[in-house]
Amino acid sequence: MVLLAGVALTTLIANSAARLRAMAVAFLAVSIAANAIAAGATTIAQLAVLAAAGLAASGILFVAARDGDYGEDPEWRLWVATLIAAVATPAAFVSFRSADLSATSLAAFMPVPSEVLVEVAAFWLLSSGTAILVTARSAVRTSLGALLLLTGVQLLVRLAPGPQLELTIGIAWVEVVVALVGAFLIVNERAVRE
Amino acid sequence: MSELAAPVALLALAAPLVFALRKRVAIAAVGTLCALAGAAALLILAPETHGQVLSLDLVLTPLARLAAVALLGILAVIVVDVWLDEPAYNLFPTALGVGAVVVAVLLLQNALATEAALLVGLLLPVGSFTFQVHRNRSVEAAIRHFAFVSLGGTIGLAALALAAGLPHDQPQSTFVLLVVILYLAFALQLALIPFHTHAALLTAEAPATALALSFGVLTPTVVIAFAEILTDTGLLPSIVQLTKVQDLLLGIGALSALGGAILAVGAADLRRLVVSSVIADLGMAVVGVGSFSGPGLVGAIVIALATGASATQQLLAAGTLERRAAGGPPRAARAPLAAAAFVCGGVGLVGAPPIVAFPGHFFVELMAYAFASWLGGVLVLATLLLLLAQLRMAIALFADGLPSWRPEPRPIAGIAGMLLFAVLLAGGIAPDALLRPIAAFAEEFLHAVRPL
Repeated sequence: MVLLAGVALTTLIANSAARLRAMAVAFLAVSIAANAIAAGATTIAQLAVLAAAGLAASGILFVAARDGDYGEDPEWRLWVATLIAAVATPAAFVSFRSADLSATSLAAFMPVPSEVLVEVAAFWLLSSGTAILVTARSAVRTSLGALLLLTGVQLLVRLAPGPQLELTIGIAWVEVVVALVGAFLIVNERAVRE
Repeated sequence: MSELAAPVALLALAAPLVFALRKRVAIAAVGTLCALAGAAALLILAPETHGQVLSLDLVLTPLARLAAVALLGILAVIVVDVWLDEPAYNLFPTALGVGAVVVAVLLLQNALATEAALLVGLLLPVGSFTFQVHRNRSVEAAIRHFAFVSLGGTIGLAALALAAGLPHDQPQSTFVLLVVILYLAFALQLALIPFHTHAALLTAEAPATALALSFGVLTPTVVIAFAEILTDTGLLPSIVQLTKVQDLLLGIGALSALGGAILAVGAADLRRLVVSSVIADLGMAVVGVGSFSGPGLVGAIVIALATGASATQQLLAAGTLERRAAGGPPRAARAPLAAAAFVCGGVGLVGAPPIVAFPGHFFVELMAYAFASWLGGVLVLATLLLLLAQLRMAIALFADGLPSWRPEPRPIAGIAGMLLFAVLLAGGIAPDALLRPIAAFAEEFLHAVRPL
């Protein structure tokens, strides 16, 4: 539960960051918290790939900022994105949960199956990412939304049967490409504005 | 690693090399063409049809071979045009990256891996969309494309991961929701109506060659990937039992076909006409897939491939006509061969005989009538509107008459367009070579719909 709160909190920090460098650091924290929550369903090799992808993506955005002031102020979009995520997460969990909750108590301080935590974290990241991406005005928040979505996808992939390491590597590459394309657009957008 | 991965590896390794040499345009172009030809040769001569990379299965089906060679051929035509007519050095490495993704998508048998590769492919042209950023809105257009494609790709990946992880005894509403999300994901990636707004801005601001990369090569790949992913996920037997889901797919397709055709009729310039026509044709292809029938699927894939070739032909010709017009209205008198290529491309996008697109349109419209007469009517109306739109633009192109039939100097787009038209014509005269591999895939699709 603490890790789930960590994912939610770091996502909110990334969402509220008005500066790209702060956003990049917050995204790294989201990535670490999300991987920690699914650590039980993850091999060492997968963890290494995920850590490298998270570090590379946040590093690319950090460098693309060029200075500490550049970014996009979310203004009211922060609250809209948070509200959408808060409403969509339970709705998505109820519609798509794969874990059996019949014998599980969700009361506070009771142990919750790790699958449930991973699914809730994944739906939170997916709904937050979608809300940020849909309300974004520039490449800065568009990139953040896309990266949060991919972090959520990585969590869902861990619960799906199939070649886990290969899929983790594949989606990690997508994460790096999204960060590179986002950085390219951020640099170009800044050039146009200035 | 399997030998089947060699074409993907060749293209993916050539991309950074060409990127390093991109400012030496001739070397980069020749290198790109050699890599594309090498990959196509490896696919044609591949001794084995099954392989593995780590534990991901690769299968070279007859459709994968046909589509990969056709799409690499279209890429080669775009590269030649960029090299000789419209130097844009960023396009060469992008073309190689797109080529690697196209081949990977066609070979991979895992739905999640296919969708991940597709997302990378759809993001790659962003680098070619932006040019002269201080003079136009190409950055804004590229950001919108990035947002739409990222959203579509990631929700598609999430839906596929959920579909793989969910137990089979799910309530019907869960399946409906999952399939709806998957359809929306592909509608976003294909820029189907009502998710086409980014395509409109892109059409106005991006270079014609980059648009050809996107609408001529990647769009047909998305259609084929959609059918392959539906086959691989194992969702098809559940989907066909849900009439609501089929209605949704047919509805999205029909809306896009008619909406795209209406937009084409009102198109103010050459590029908008091409992209609106592509949207209309993609709508028809989605109706074909949504019919869950052999002829419908064959028609959908034929439409996708023929539309890719015709759209490339028209976009390259439109780029040349616009440049020669130097700010004025594009006229055939300044580039007669490019204008002729544009008009011939229109024949392909309408799906008129004897072009190979005709059997595709015929099959899909036949299945649409079999499903509901209103649906068949909508597709026929969309075809008529497309015909009207293309005729209107052709008349406008030749409005000033043609002082001479002599081709323009450096008629690269015209020759490239006529080459593509000749291939489509040959396919229409002898359709068996094209239809047989697609029919083999349709059989596999039908087997997935109704497993024994």
